[in-house]
Amino acid sequence: MDDLLLSKIRLGIVSELLAADWVAFSELARSLEASQGNLGAHLSKLVEAGYVEEVKTFVNRRPLTQYRLTQTGRGAFVAHVRQLQSLLKETS
Amino acid sequence: MEEQLTAAQARDHIEMVARILDESQQRLYAGGSFFVVWGLFGTFVTLLGHFVSRGALPASALWAGAAALVAAVAFSVLRRRALRVTSERRSLVQREFFNVLWITIGLAFVANLAAFNIFRGIASAAIWNFADAIVLFFIALHGNRRALVAGIAVVVSLVVANFTAPDATAYALAGGVFAGFCGFGVAELLSRD
Repeated sequence: MDDLLLSKIRLGIVSELLAADWVAFSELARSLEASQGNLGAHLSKLVEAGYVEEVKTFVNRRPLTQYRLTQTGRGAFVAHVRQLQSLLKETS
Repeated sequence: MEEQLTAAQARDHIEMVARILDESQQRLYAGGSFFVVWGLFGTFVTLLGHFVSRGALPASALWAGAAALVAAVAFSVLRRRALRVTSERRSLVQREFFNVLWITIGLAFVANLAAFNIFRGIASAAIWNFADAIVLFFIALHGNRRALVAGIAVVVSLVVANFTAPDATAYALAGGVFAGFCGFGVAELLSRD
């Protein structure tokens, strides 16, 4: 299994981004009910691994940090979920 | 070093993924105000063209149509910018929706502007009904029943316009755009949480 995606919150982040063009940091924190510090740390790991792309912009002088899933992240997610499903089949 | 999950944890993770994906599939915001504005534009231009062709208004009145177009485009640009500030998520479906909206409206505009010898008179107005129906049915494909009803209303207006008396054709088309596009837009605005 994918080590990075064994973490439930990181798997949740990738799931949130899967059907999205982009999602703002604040929206991810709200959806996943995560603290900003905790979420930021997990996002940093996903960005470092190339699973997630971070885009920082200013809209009307307000900072907006957006995240989108990369192809690498999408592929890792699909492979990881397949392995989860395999594990469930083996144990059922 | 690779950690391992228990079957219970794996099930918990799968269920979380399924729940998140299920919720995200429903996030298509069609933007009611866009439809109200473009519906009003379509209705106005169709009736304007009708009155000019009947001689009830001078040809110079067509400039009002150009002014309405500029106003509709300006509104759309400003509104989209405002949405970008307030919106914190854009789904893939949302991106596709805006692509379909702008491509369809753009193609209808190009057909009006560059193929006016083919789409003459009332045909140039009918193109907008056709384009509007495509946009509404695209939204309907993503589970929006109001868009389905509105799209059917626009298509029905096309058929009615085809068989009605020549003097009433423009009214049928304008009524279809007004009921379909404006009606859908108002319904979306009223239904938003």
